[in-house]
Formats: sequence, structure tokens, C-alpha cells
Amino acid sequence: MSNGIPLPEALARYRPDAELGPLPEPGDIDTLLNTYHPDHLRDSVVKLTVGANAGDPCQRELADLLQAEAFIDEADLAGTPVADVDVLVIGGGGAGCAAALAAAENGARVLLATKLRLGDSNTVMAEGGIQAAIEPDDSVQRHIQDTLRGGHHAANPALVSAMTGDGPEVLRWLIDQGMQFEQTSSGDLHTRRAGGMSTARLVHCRDYTGLEMMRVLREAVIQHRSIEVCEQSPAVELLSNEVGQKCVGAVLTSMLDGRLRIVRTRSVILATGGLGRLHLNGFPTSNHLGATGDGLVLAYRIGARLCDLDSFQYHPTGLLHPSHLAGKLVTEGVRAAGALLVNGLGNRFIDELQPRDVVCAAILRECGEGRGIRIDEQRVGVWLDTPRLEQAQPGMLEKQFPNLMARTHVAGVDPRREPLLVHPTLHYQNGGAVIDVNGATTVPGLYAVGEVAGGIHGRNRIMGNALLEIISFGRRAGAAATANRDRGPKKVTLEHVNRLRRALTLAGLPMTQRTPRVLPAYAAGGAWNR
Amino acid sequence: MSITTHEKGRPAALTVNGLAIEASTDMTLVEAAWHGGVPRITNIGCMEGVCGSCRVMLRRGKEVSVGLACQTFVEDGIEVVFMPPASVPQHHYDIGDLKDGWDIHARFHKIFHEAARCRHCHGCVAACPKGIKVEDGVAQAAAGRYREAGETFFECIMCELCDAACPELIAPAHVGLFSRRVTAHFHLRPPNLIHRLEELRQARTATPQDKKDDE
Repeated sequence: MSNGIPLPEALARYRPDAELGPLPEPGDIDTLLNTYHPDHLRDSVVKLTVGANAGDPCQRELADLLQAEAFIDEADLAGTPVADVDVLVIGGGGAGCAAALAAAENGARVLLATKLRLGDSNTVMAEGGIQAAIEPDDSVQRHIQDTLRGGHHAANPALVSAMTGDGPEVLRWLIDQGMQFEQTSSGDLHTRRAGGMSTARLVHCRDYTGLEMMRVLREAVIQHRSIEVCEQSPAVELLSNEVGQKCVGAVLTSMLDGRLRIVRTRSVILATGGLGRLHLNGFPTSNHLGATGDGLVLAYRIGARLCDLDSFQYHPTGLLHPSHLAGKLVTEGVRAAGALLVNGLGNRFIDELQPRDVVCAAILRECGEGRGIRIDEQRVGVWLDTPRLEQAQPGMLEKQFPNLMARTHVAGVDPRREPLLVHPTLHYQNGGAVIDVNGATTVPGLYAVGEVAGGIHGRNRIMGNALLEIISFGRRAGAAATANRDRGPKKVTLEHVNRLRRALTLAGLPMTQRTPRVLPAYAAGGAWNR
Repeated sequence: MSITTHEKGRPAALTVNGLAIEASTDMTLVEAAWHGGVPRITNIGCMEGVCGSCRVMLRRGKEVSVGLACQTFVEDGIEVVFMPPASVPQHHYDIGDLKDGWDIHARFHKIFHEAARCRHCHGCVAACPKGIKVEDGVAQAAAGRYREAGETFFECIMCELCDAACPELIAPAHVGLFSRRVTAHFHLRPPNLIHRLEELRQARTATPQDKKDDE
């Protein structure tokens, strides 16, 4: 991708008040996606050989992690301290907190274990907002239609219906927990329309929606008497019963001293988030440091069915510059507010409010066909025309997008005066563990909520459904996991690990790699290159 | 580092957790730590200054300060120590227990009884990486002005550096969050949401038969 218009030339051509030509004919969307979306890159997808999804397509780098050796053995469990709780939640983001709170509300003793710090998650970075059909001209039915259409009709309608139906109640619960939202002068919740929505449905708290949600949920969890929080404690393996058919706990380790700890429980809720930090297909990512797909690995090894493992969301507007923010997002809210995408020739090339996969593919097309703006040999992008937005609505960037302004200010960049250079960035795992409307996976005793779960967004998630999903299914799973009145495990084993080992050996697959990954190599003492 | 005047970083020497490393001035301290292969740093999160995890203590000559590693660029000679995670909060309340908005002021002072004792040492303000006027926020909350206090703390990212800096153990970050939470909990009653909730409730009670079929 070394072609493109050199930066100085593109800058000379750029003017915030230039007359923009009409949008070119959109052309065939499917052809655009098939040609330019990273999911369709050649050699990016392989077929899984072992496990519940044997024969299914899966992204290559993810397949290597799913079909790999575990960290621990039965021998490691001898003499390891054991804790007993009603519900174990793995993951301390929005989904994990919602699940823990719901379980505790229903009377469970909960242990919430998280790899990093409580609240350290992708939730905290979500800027745009949360979808809920609350406007008079809107309905749950329209929300369902938009979600299904945005996901190319690959989502499970039962899950979509459950989530969208929960929308208004989720907002009420969040407000009860103490979350604030933007209001109109008459006190209504302010809504915006974003990509893939047929009407305004995005409720938000300026561009800090995820931060506001996370700090409130984090505080609620910390303050709850029945929830114990265990930070810096990644799960390295799940535990199964004697026949390896049921999840009865997990093994945690400590990032500080590496010591193991067994947790026995009736129900485990996986809320481990996504896998952006695996940098699939070499893309930068918007994700936080812990997003290494641990939950998928643990769930797959114990036999849970996964889905859509070849479908990922590349957010159209990742920052290309400044370089320490490479891959970090400019929220879609900026486009929803009216910012346009402009190529190196100074032309628009796509309706900015098309679903994310379409806009992403269109940007990659511009870059691939030489109409991008080139900073250096590696980096090509397109303009996100923020100065034009500022001219049309003076003061709006400062007022509505303080987070964007603060982040760019640190690096001496002012989006009011200069356009932002953007390029698609790995953002979201569309698929994940197959769940029912209560978040239950195909393995008894194991639940999955949030990004680690699949089937809700089909093959493309529309903005604002992630924050809705984590609360909706988090609360559903928390309640269902507590209702599981099973007397608890008699024996905890690693039978499922042995089963996968046998399968790997029979299939002749290498067992050199141990998973889950826990941290990306560059943060765990490996080589790092910007 | 505007894109129009694209500068390159200059080489710089610094220490991270006592380890001397070489890095470049266009790297953040997080990038520098990775670049230098500093082991066992486990409190890095979002890398864009919103999660508050990567708290560092910084020394430049004789001047000592705190900040976020992902928001601080490398300087020649700077000494950086990644701080351990914050200890568990000492102020306990359950928002569900707060039933009556009229006694909220009394409840606040019972929960955060140190908040009235601010001695204006400015430690919290100096520590805040987001430039929040922490002292003002605490004073507003102590005076019962929770909406204003919550607005003051709007940019709070939960790093809790102000809590660590406070000699009176006020826990300003939690005072701020309390203020924001009670404001929403007691006062956010949006008509459009309430109307839709009522519609959905009526639809549920009107068609109990359909509901049964669903299940």
C-alpha cells in the first residue's frame, strides 16, 4: 500500500470550505465488501480441525489460539488453595460488572476476577452511546430490524429481540445505579442517529458514555457487600466435572506473583471481552491491553460452541496520527454529528452513515486504489473533515466531543483546525460463544456475556448496541446463573483439557503454544515496534 | 506534533522502575517501558487516558509529581515509577439504601465525614491528570450541591490519584462519583423514557396470553 497522495500535496489541496462534489454512485455493496473488507483477505480464514466447531471457518490467528495446549495440568492443582462461591464472574468490564451486580441482587455470593484493574476494559473507551428505542417515532420492532439489517441478517433473532426489548429497562437500571445521560431542554434523554439506524436512538453522555457507565458500575460493584473483587487475576483455565461435560469453576493466577487459585462454583460467567490485541491481519486496534481473546480460548477448550469466528469489525475511523494513538478511535458520533470523509483528491466517496463494515471497506478501497493520503511507506489514510464540521457548527467539537479534544490536545493536534487522518482499525469481535437469551453457553454451568458472546450482532455490529448488549445480557446471565440451584461440584477436574489434548494429538496439530494469551507479547517482555 | 509540522522524536535516556532505558521523546512512557523491555508492568489499560490504570510517579530533578504513563511523553532524564493499584475504598454506601432525597445531605456527611475537613492543601488538584478542580468539587459536595460537584468531576477517570494525595483521607474521587450518582438516581426522570417504559408495561399486561406463548 505504498501508493497514495503524499501528505504535503494532500494538505495543499485540502480546504475546509471547498465545494465537495456529489457522492459517487454507491455501486454494489456486496462486491465492495468482498473485495475490500479485511474478513475477505486471502488466507485470513482457515477451517478448525478439532473441538465443537470442527470444520467451521475461523480467522487464522484465532484458530491457532483455540487449537493449542493449556497452561496447567492436574499436577498443578494439587495443594492449590480453593475458594467456594455461588457465582464466579471472569472479567471486570461493563458486562462483568452488570452480571456480578445482577447475581448479587438475586442473593448470590459473587467473586469477580479480572485480569487487569476493575473497570479496565473496552467499555470505558466506548464514546458514542447506547441504543434504546425510546423516541415517539421509534419502536423495539424498528430497533430489531436495524440490528438484523446491520448484521447482514446473520444474527440470532431471539437474542436481538431480547436485547432490544430490554433497552428502555436497561436505561432505567443504569439511571438507578447513578449513570447520567445527556438531556434536552425539556428533560428528555437526548438521542442521536448513527450509522445503520433508521431513526435517532443513540442515548449518550457527551462522548464519555462508556466512561460514565464504567465508573458508575465499578463503584456499584466495589460498594456491594456480596461481591468480592479479585484484580490482576486472569483465569488460565476452566474446571469441569469428572466427565468434562460441565463447568464447575476456574483456575485463576496472579499477575503479581504467578500463584494459582482454584475457585469452585455453581456457575461461571465469562465476560472477558474481545481480541483486538491479537492484531488480526496486522491491523492496529482500538482495544485496551487485555483484549486477547482469553474467554474464547477457555470456552472452546471446555467444549462450548462458538459462532462467526471469521467475522470481525474494523472500525472505519481509527487515528493514523499522532502515532501514539495509532488505531485509537474517533467516535462514530463525530460522523453522526455531520463530519464527512474526504479522500486525498478532496472528494467524498461514501455515505458516512452506512454501516461500519461498508464505510471501512470504502476507506480501504480509496487507500488501495491510490486516492488515500500517504504519511510514509506504511501509513495511508483518508481525511475525517472535522474543521468543516466546526465551521458549520462553531464550538460543537469542544462541547460535544471533549474526550476527542482532550486526547488530541495531549499530542498538540487541534481537530478544529486540521482534519484528522483516519484508517480502519480492528475494533470488535462480531462472533463468539453461542448463547441463549439467558447468556447460557452450550456447556452447562458456563455463561458468556458481552463481546465474548456471539450471535447478537450477526456479521456487523451497529453503533450503540455493544453498551446495550453488555447490560442486557449481563443482567440476564447474572440472574440465570444465580437461579442455577445445582448443589455445586463434587469434584473439579481438567478432564476437558485432556480431551482436547487427545484430539490435538490425533489431528497431528502442534502443541507448542500455550493459551490463553493473557497479554500481547509486546506487553509481556517481548519485542515492541510502533 | 501537528500533522502539518510533523516532528520526529529525539533520543532520550530515562529510568522506569529503576531500570535505565533509552527511548524517544515522541513515545509515551508506556511505549518507552515496552521499548526498553521493562518487566512486570501490569497496570496498563486503555492507552488513551480514560481508564486511569497506568498511574506513575515522576521525578524531574528535585520535582516529584504523579501522572498517567499513557499521557506523558518521554523526557530526557525523567525517572518513572509505575505505582501499585489503589487500595480498596474506605467509604461504604449502597445507592439502593438511599431512599429519601431529603436526607441525602446528612447521609453524605455520615458516609464521607472527612469531606468537611478539607484544609485546602491543593494536593488533589496537583495530582489530578485531568485538571479537575478537585477541591472545589469536594467543597460543592460538602455544601450539598451534588449536581455542581458532579459536573466539576465530569472528566474523572477513576485513577484515584487524588485519593492517594489527600492527607485528610477524604477520597475526593469517590465524593465526585457519589455526587454524580445521587444526581442521576434522584433527579434524572426523562419523560420520553418513562413514556416508553409505561407503554411496554401496558403491552405486557394487556397480552398475558402472548407472553405465555413466548415462554
